[in-house]
Amino acid sequence: MTRVLRMAVVSAVAFAGALSLAYAHHSGTMFDDKKEVTVEGVVKEFQYTNPHSWLLVDVTNADGSVTTWGFEAEGPTTLMQMKIRRSDFAPGTKVTMTGHPMRDGRPAAAWTKAVRADGVEFYPRGRTPRVE
Amino acid sequence: MHAVRGAALAAAVAIASAAVAAQDRPSQSPADWQRKHELGLTHRTAGDLYLALKNAAGGGRQNPPFSQLPDWSGLWTAGSGGVFFGRGPTGVSPRLTAPAAAALKEGRQLAAQGISYDENLSECGPPGFPRWLVVPFLREFIVRPEQTWLSSETVNNVRRIYTDGRDHLKPDDAFPLYYGDSIGFWDGQKLVIHTNSLMDRSMGRGQPRQSERMETVEIWEKIESGTIVADVWIYDPAIFVEPWYLQRHYTQVSNADKSLRMNYWHCGENPNNEVFKTPEGNTQYRDFTFTGGGDRAKEQGR
Repeated sequence: MTRVLRMAVVSAVAFAGALSLAYAHHSGTMFDDKKEVTVEGVVKEFQYTNPHSWLLVDVTNADGSVTTWGFEAEGPTTLMQMKIRRSDFAPGTKVTMTGHPMRDGRPAAAWTKAVRADGVEFYPRGRTPRVE
Repeated sequence: MHAVRGAALAAAVAIASAAVAAQDRPSQSPADWQRKHELGLTHRTAGDLYLALKNAAGGGRQNPPFSQLPDWSGLWTAGSGGVFFGRGPTGVSPRLTAPAAAALKEGRQLAAQGISYDENLSECGPPGFPRWLVVPFLREFIVRPEQTWLSSETVNNVRRIYTDGRDHLKPDDAFPLYYGDSIGFWDGQKLVIHTNSLMDRSMGRGQPRQSERMETVEIWEKIESGTIVADVWIYDPAIFVEPWYLQRHYTQVSNADKSLRMNYWHCGENPNNEVFKTPEGNTQYRDFTFTGGGDRAKEQGR
């Protein structure tokens, strides 16, 4: 079963800019780092590419329609250092995805966490802030 | 999971991130920073400083045999260290020219409004030097007697440091380069570099433009297993009233199973990575393939 779990405004105190995302290729201003979205779905495709990777997840909406969400992360070498291999998210894998959503409402987010159906958690941006 | 749990997660990640950042930062003592900062101040130009360092090294070594070169093999990444426009360990900030200060202020004001665009990297242009010092992702340092290659995965760049005794091109023949022209010598296990022929371009998002008059001196040294330090002096009268000194750290990346490799960057490889500059000056993704987009001619700003 797939569905949108929540779209929440996260405590400004908790963030206070500390979680602001650092990007090399582009600014992260299109993502709202004061909000979090969590969706449950099935992996459609893992685009394991430079300069950014995209994990595409099919999410079934309440009305039965399906929306493909894109979760953006850094490129393969960063993901590999975060213990995220391409094979970890084969098409059909059930996942719960969390990220900072696009400000313009499109179904995409800066990927911060994934939990597979087997309970394994993945943090593509890990706990290592990037310096730029 | 609800919003409160989300906030707790965010806080935990923030705290963990700060802890890792602290571990990642070999500290430079204020006294060491001050001494090296003053070394820059006592030399009018980067060329003067480079010559002084060369004289102090007895002329330095050119083309040293492999056996005398340090082992900088493996994969590395930028740790932390000094910045171009922030305070040093003593609390001293760079003395900026009026135009540079104004540009920095404008950049910070725009960033505070959530407006930012990268004129260089967003279209896969080169970060250039000295921004190269601070960009993230993997690096390889290839040390040979006649030249050293300092490479970075970010937009596939290689800085070539010639240590075969050659000089820069004559001023009348020199021309601006993204990474400049770098010559160097070895002082024991330290690589000393002089770079000129740099390009007039942005130093980074929201930062002033460097000028073609910029020149730098660097001293690279592996201070311990897994840590290479670069002392950097930047001279650019268009930005700095007096030379600015910073120290950058590079940390070796664990790669026990040899699975990590430097990979090519091309922003067009995945259409979902293409961004554009909005009329407001901000960064925005183009239509995504997964949203059924594709009619990009209708996009705002094109």
